[in-house]
Amino acid sequence: MTVAFPRWVVVAGAALVAGWLALDALRQAQLGVDDAGLWFVVFAGWIAAGAVVAVSRWPERRRMALLILWWLACAVADDVGVAWPGSRIAATIFLLALAVQPGAFAHMSLAYPSGYVRDRLDRWFLVIAYGLGLLWELPPALFADPRACSGCSPHAPSLLFTGHTFDLLPVGRVFWTGFIALGLAFIALLARKLRHSAPGALRTVFPLALVSGFAAVQFILLRIAWLTDWNQSLSVLDWIGRLSLLTVPASMAIGVATIRRDRGAVGDLVVELGAAKPGDVRDALARSVGDPSLELALWIPAEQRYVNERGVTVTAQADVSGRAVTIIGTPDQPLAALIHDVSLVGQRPLLEAAGSAARIALENARLHAELQAQLVALRASRARIVAAGDAERRRLERDLHDGAQQRLLALGLALQLLEDNRGDPGLLAEAQRELQAALHELRQLARGIHPAILTDHGLSAAIGSLADRSSVPVRAEISDARYPPAVESAAYFVVAEALANVTKHAQAQSASVMVTQNNGHLVVEVSDDGRGGADPADGSGLQGLRDRVGALDGRLSINTSATDGTTVHAEIPCAS
Amino acid sequence: MRVVIADDSALIRDGVGQLLAARGHEIAGAVADADALLAAVDATRPDVALIDIRMPPSFTSEGIIAAGTIQQRHPDVGVVLLSQHVDADYALSLIRVRPTRSGYLLKDRITHMDTLTEAIDRVARGETIIEPELVQLLVRRPATKSRLDELTPREHEVLSLIAEGLTDRGIGERLWLTPKTVETHIRHILAKLSLPTDASYNRRVLAVLAYLRNDHA
Repeated sequence: MTVAFPRWVVVAGAALVAGWLALDALRQAQLGVDDAGLWFVVFAGWIAAGAVVAVSRWPERRRMALLILWWLACAVADDVGVAWPGSRIAATIFLLALAVQPGAFAHMSLAYPSGYVRDRLDRWFLVIAYGLGLLWELPPALFADPRACSGCSPHAPSLLFTGHTFDLLPVGRVFWTGFIALGLAFIALLARKLRHSAPGALRTVFPLALVSGFAAVQFILLRIAWLTDWNQSLSVLDWIGRLSLLTVPASMAIGVATIRRDRGAVGDLVVELGAAKPGDVRDALARSVGDPSLELALWIPAEQRYVNERGVTVTAQADVSGRAVTIIGTPDQPLAALIHDVSLVGQRPLLEAAGSAARIALENARLHAELQAQLVALRASRARIVAAGDAERRRLERDLHDGAQQRLLALGLALQLLEDNRGDPGLLAEAQRELQAALHELRQLARGIHPAILTDHGLSAAIGSLADRSSVPVRAEISDARYPPAVESAAYFVVAEALANVTKHAQAQSASVMVTQNNGHLVVEVSDDGRGGADPADGSGLQGLRDRVGALDGRLSINTSATDGTTVHAEIPCAS
Repeated sequence: MRVVIADDSALIRDGVGQLLAARGHEIAGAVADADALLAAVDATRPDVALIDIRMPPSFTSEGIIAAGTIQQRHPDVGVVLLSQHVDADYALSLIRVRPTRSGYLLKDRITHMDTLTEAIDRVARGETIIEPELVQLLVRRPATKSRLDELTPREHEVLSLIAEGLTDRGIGERLWLTPKTVETHIRHILAKLSLPTDASYNRRVLAVLAYLRNDHA
């Protein structure tokens, strides 16, 4: 993987490092101490954490890295006051940095890992934390002159200094108490955040939450020590503070690393899905992202709806609070949607990677099932077509044998008799009648096999002739357009069979035939106002039609009801 | 009467030719396809051409196309089309390309020479003839029946004969009616069906056929 540092990270990081090194050199010179080693480690840890976050692949990395930088800037800025002891600007920056430090720290912790504070309670807490910090530093800014205080660190009054001074200790005590409450609330919010995290998100959030909580405890203990003048503990607490400052970036790096490791789990998911049966995909997904409550919604583009793995329509919306939706694909062209615990929001890369991997498996499973169903239908229809062809031949043979052939035999007999018995007018008339009947039957038979008018004059004329022969009035709306012979034949026999059924079964008063062209399909619709009851399963007629239409990749559907009659609807692809 | 016969079957050509000759017709030509037919008509200018609807090369509607060509070149040569199809569209397409001096008959009629010779004679006289079986199909179809409800049974009969192409006189002879009665019946029928009462004989046949055919006029 190539690591692309965003340019702003490099610039901001370099600026911070240079600024801090300069400041710290000044600070050490002023205070006459030499603790650069410890602070360098702390600082390097933070820079590293910021860099890890910045180069991670999750979408909100920019936001999160900014928050880390913000907190780091606040932490560094309090050196300014010490570095330039006589400067009032430096003193003001020092107070301001101290004021926003608690808020910035809480902000970073609560926003981790997404970089956004979405929870209302968290937001209110941050407003109070920043507000309390600013209020806390207001009295010193207005009324403190550190030059009069030998032990205090900044040696100049702030820009806001009024010129009046008084003992600020009682005010400080009130604020310390407030900060203790704030620290406890922060711990409570951290606990709440952990409790509401899905197991998958917990892996990422837990290290930082633990360390932040630890830092908060130190923060509280320090205020208690100040309140109670318990000065022996101060140096210990100071060390604990430094330790937590070191562990916070480490925990953040660990958290980000778990996201990376979980993305490695997607690789396992792909392997698992390869062996998964359709229906197991959701389970595998839920395991790999660590959210047992995960729901899977697959987008069916043709039908513009989401379905679950069982094909049931579902809505891809977070209908309950605490749920969130991650769309795999684009909002315009979604592939699938994952409905999951809201705490997984910060792990979108994982969700998306897992979703994409699963999509391939799902697509495969669906295609496979579709193909199987088509194969089964194809085999059945092939068998039926062969059977229907045989049946048709038997019928033709019978009709020829029992009909025209018998009549021609009778005619031959009559001619024989005429030869023996010249001039019998009765015999002659009989022979004529037999001949006419034979011709009539042959004509009917030929029309049943394939009507010449369909070939010669097309669908409109042929269906017109069907209507002429129907026993119920038929309204026909058909354009004179011509179509490929196979399409015309299929459409014709759909109409012929449907009208024959109307005559035989429907007890209808009228029927209508509509043939239109729509979207590359010839649409044939035959409806009647009869008593319904047409069943494609019984009798081979409608099933034969379905096969005939299916052979052209078309579809045939039958709607039948006792009140609305029967409608046979066929759509046959036609390229014209 | 001079007749040209066009049929791809030699047996039928010769048989029908002999039967017509026996009934006093002169066989001006007997040909097997449409091109030969047109050449024979050009050369012999017969009174009537007796044409099979199916001829080489495609065996579909060559006869109708030939009838259209004869109409253009020799409108005074009558055309009798023999067809295996009881389908209104064939008859209507013939009448459309050839409104006068034409007949559409089932090929079965060649086994009933009197009907065929009568048809040839009538076409030569300028009448139009439509196969009775086809007219019966159209008149009896349920859609038409309901629209003919207003007609009396006698008017029904007269209507069928108009559609078959009979003249007023022919109808009178067939139904034993006086010319005046026939005329009255026809006027009533055309008025009831909202068809033009003043149409000429040939236009009247087409109008009635189209009416019988058209479901939703």
